[in-house]
Amino acid sequence: MLTEVHVPEDVPAAVGLIVSGATVLGGGTSLMPALNDYGSPPTELVSLRRTGLSGITVTGSTVTIGATTTLSQIEHDSRLQILNPVVRSIASVPVRNLATVGGNLFVPQPYGDLAVALVALNARAVPAGGSGPAELPLERPALVTAVTFELPAPGVFKYVKAARRRWNSASLVTVAATIVELDGLVSGARVALGGVSDHIVRAAAVEEALLGRPLTEETVAAAARAGLGELSPADDAYASAWYRTRVFPVHLRRALLGR
Amino acid sequence: MKIVSLRVNGAGQAFIARPGTTLLLALREQLGLTGAKRGCAQGACGSCTVLLDGQPVVSCLVPAVTVDGAEIATIEGLADGQVLSDVQQAFLDGFATQCGFCTPGMIMSAEALLDRNPDPTRDEVNEAISGNVCRCTGYEPIVSAVLDAAARRRSRAGEGAKL
Repeated sequence: MLTEVHVPEDVPAAVGLIVSGATVLGGGTSLMPALNDYGSPPTELVSLRRTGLSGITVTGSTVTIGATTTLSQIEHDSRLQILNPVVRSIASVPVRNLATVGGNLFVPQPYGDLAVALVALNARAVPAGGSGPAELPLERPALVTAVTFELPAPGVFKYVKAARRRWNSASLVTVAATIVELDGLVSGARVALGGVSDHIVRAAAVEEALLGRPLTEETVAAAARAGLGELSPADDAYASAWYRTRVFPVHLRRALLGR
Repeated sequence: MKIVSLRVNGAGQAFIARPGTTLLLALREQLGLTGAKRGCAQGACGSCTVLLDGQPVVSCLVPAVTVDGAEIATIEGLADGQVLSDVQQAFLDGFATQCGFCTPGMIMSAEALLDRNPDPTRDEVNEAISGNVCRCTGYEPIVSAVLDAAARRRSRAGEGAKL
């Protein structure tokens, strides 16, 4: 049960409450379902809703998204077209109007598809308190005030989420990648996977298998084989671990080659 | 305990909220607005959908104290006296309600869709109501009713423009 819900007006006040033991509440779409179970332990929350962390700025190619910006705000921002298919693959409209970018970094798999995309985009999390931007996924919990990344050139960012239904279903396999080609060969690759482990996977073996090669069916098939060792999927209500492993090469191909 | 003030369907309201009082619970138990339903309390069924500052949200996941000062619209505020909104009337005319449990949330999602997109495709309606579960499985008449309501709204707007 909830014992207190603080609604501080700024970040330092929120940090003070977190230090004294309160749990951070972003949009509540992951945390509140657990707390609505009357058997939940006594919990003190600190809502970030009024801390002024909402908003999107685009300066040149640098995008900064405040932590409490909702997934819907991203969906309807014409400057963030590349993230439109990502956020629309997540949950439903009345959930996306609550769910926040910062919250998405901390939801358990197989959720957190936006975070998967942000890993592929080499986004950084800006923590409260002045320490420098941190690479995603975060190694330690921190109060994130914003995420920031560079918009890639057109066509570089790839995203496919396989789910049981077209709308409003959790990931079976999510593939997000940035692929840079030079003279017909892959010169840069960041590949992030969701739905295939208890954490977001940065698929180093897949990236390694792509680099320096032409982006063909053969290359991608070999990269998928190389990546199998990085998967440790779970059986859940959406799919079995066996199924997720089995279809991973298909969705890697669809993401990277569009077919 | 905190006092929370909201504008609900255009009228100022205030109530005392415990930490665990969700927006849904406040609307139903304290303000007597029982249109929004408590289905799953997980944000998955959409039967509690209301508009928070104009946007549809699952009110079961919103602690009431976090939205002090907000503007809330519920199904109770749609009709003008005995005259139903276009979406409500289209649901009625198109037999788009079966047991009715999902209907208030479904209609609020539809109202929000038509507010931002007056001429949606069938596919856009599907996406807009994908968070609202109908376990009578009457989706086809629901989607048709939303499209019908969109046409009624556009026709009304056209008449307004002619005057």
